[in-house]
Amino acid sequence: MMHKDLKAEKSERRRLQASRSASNRLSRYVPLQAEVIDIDVESSNTYLISLRPLDEEDETVRLEYCPGQFLMVSVFGLGECPISIASTPTRDPLQICVREAGKITQGIMASRVGDVMGIRGPFGNGFPVEKMKGRNVVITGGGSGFATLRSLINYIADNREKFQDVTVAYGARTPHDLYFTSEYGSWQAAGIEVGITVDMMDASWKGNVGLVTSLLKDINPAPGTAALCGPPMMINAVAKDLVNRGFLEPDIYISLERHMKCGIGKCEHCTMGPYHVCTEGPIFSYDVVGDLL
Amino acid sequence: MTTTSALFLDHENLVPLLEELAKTLEVVAPVYAEGEPVFATWKGEALALDADNPLNSPVEFFLPQKEVLFKYVQYSGRYTFQEEPPKSRLILGMRPCDLQAIKVLDEIFGTELPDHPYASKRMSTIIVVLNCTSPGEGCFCASMGSGPVVEEGFDLLLTDVGPGYLVESGSPAGMFILRAQSHHFEEALPEHLKEKERLLDLAEEEITKRRPALTPEQIREAIDETDWEEVERRCLRCGGCSLICPVCHCFSVMDRGVPDGERLRCRDSCVLSGFSRMTSGANPRASLGERLRHWYLDKFVYIPEKTGMLGCVGCGRCSRVCLSEIDRWSILREAIE
Repeated sequence: MMHKDLKAEKSERRRLQASRSASNRLSRYVPLQAEVIDIDVESSNTYLISLRPLDEEDETVRLEYCPGQFLMVSVFGLGECPISIASTPTRDPLQICVREAGKITQGIMASRVGDVMGIRGPFGNGFPVEKMKGRNVVITGGGSGFATLRSLINYIADNREKFQDVTVAYGARTPHDLYFTSEYGSWQAAGIEVGITVDMMDASWKGNVGLVTSLLKDINPAPGTAALCGPPMMINAVAKDLVNRGFLEPDIYISLERHMKCGIGKCEHCTMGPYHVCTEGPIFSYDVVGDLL
Repeated sequence: MTTTSALFLDHENLVPLLEELAKTLEVVAPVYAEGEPVFATWKGEALALDADNPLNSPVEFFLPQKEVLFKYVQYSGRYTFQEEPPKSRLILGMRPCDLQAIKVLDEIFGTELPDHPYASKRMSTIIVVLNCTSPGEGCFCASMGSGPVVEEGFDLLLTDVGPGYLVESGSPAGMFILRAQSHHFEEALPEHLKEKERLLDLAEEEITKRRPALTPEQIREAIDETDWEEVERRCLRCGGCSLICPVCHCFSVMDRGVPDGERLRCRDSCVLSGFSRMTSGANPRASLGERLRHWYLDKFVYIPEKTGMLGCVGCGRCSRVCLSEIDRWSILREAIE
């Protein structure tokens, strides 16, 4: 019996060594392949794509990541671009939310279930969830920046008892541009306050109209920590508003978007002052980047 | 002088030595291209060791203008990837300033999250430095602390002391070459060592006289004082200054080929407008002036903060290739005068 265990252990170790030496052989620029296992349409130009990362034997690989990190996603022949992880590490599968912007995102969105794309990562620091535990959390976003915040919201929903009051304030251009509409109910059920607003309403809309800052006025969140992602103008306005409400600048975490080519702090495309957004970010506290926004 | 491993290589013996080395290694050396010294694979042509520092920097053999990161091959919906192993190489005639650039790049590309394509080339390259005894017109290595004296980081160090080269070894690989090729070398004489000191002292004096050193505080002040809109008007936006710089390492990545093909990386420049622009059209450094300022800040403030070394080695190539004849060092000097 014991003999058998030893043998199994030995073969397992050999397998691990083989995979490790395989990963040593190939550089950080060589991606893993990930199979598309599901595609959800979030809006007319945005898809939520579920992925199954594969090893060389076509077996599923579990990717370790935390909310706020991103992947370099590639379509071979078109190129590679940074995409936020939209899923929470507490649930399977790995998901990315892609909005049509250029030729690479168009290529990603043209994939069908069963196709593979390249992924590298996860990259970046992610939201400092350990620092957020035991405190109030306000999660505020606008536009496609909401994808990375969804990772954090679902992470919190799955660890709800570890956080104090949690509030989501989310704004989109029109009701059709709202993402993850089917999940708001589950967030509320988990004890998260959810506020939604749109810039421009249509006949079907019965909710709030206006900027996210006006939504915050109604919600009036108690000071604690905050996670922000969205257009720079919105982030600036929200961060200032939160500071006025008594939030401390180091407690306001902002996820930034930049042009990126490598994800590992070499290519210099994402530099912002002295920082590499890909390795030192994409999450920065407001006291660090407030002047650079 | 105590016992030293310094040897002497007669000028006559250099080419036979290279010919023997070229049997097992790719030898890269300064040669002439239309009269201009350039680093290229040596195929037996005349060497340009007496000329100024070549137009291109030897960093191109670690971070080429264009290189294949890997090849992708598709088979029934799945891909396999292939990387090319690096060549064994010897670079002859690298100057102290370029060696310093490699030290900076080692820090950026080799330590945290190593860059495999760079690191693998670096590991398989032997560096033979040539001491700069007659500095070029636009050189300012002494003001940047990157030359003309070099103490470490090379495999072999040559100094032209008149009838031949004083040869010093700086690594086990260098020592190995000296032993394996010992028939080309003689014992160095004390006067060779003395001549080396004399020539380097002269060179340092010459460079410092032409372009005195600036302190980090002076440079910071100069960057703040410079009217970047003025520089913007002169700049022709070619990006040549970055592409030729031995420390600049900006790159872009692109694919070529469907369904099989290769992922390439090409040198890029933070001075160009598309560099930081996102697909949405938003550009964090929208004006050329801001980008030129960033170019300086990165070299003189950000890289020093990260690596403890300046991001400029004073080779003067940026000013040499500038179509608008913008002298990078003079901009700083004039700003604080």
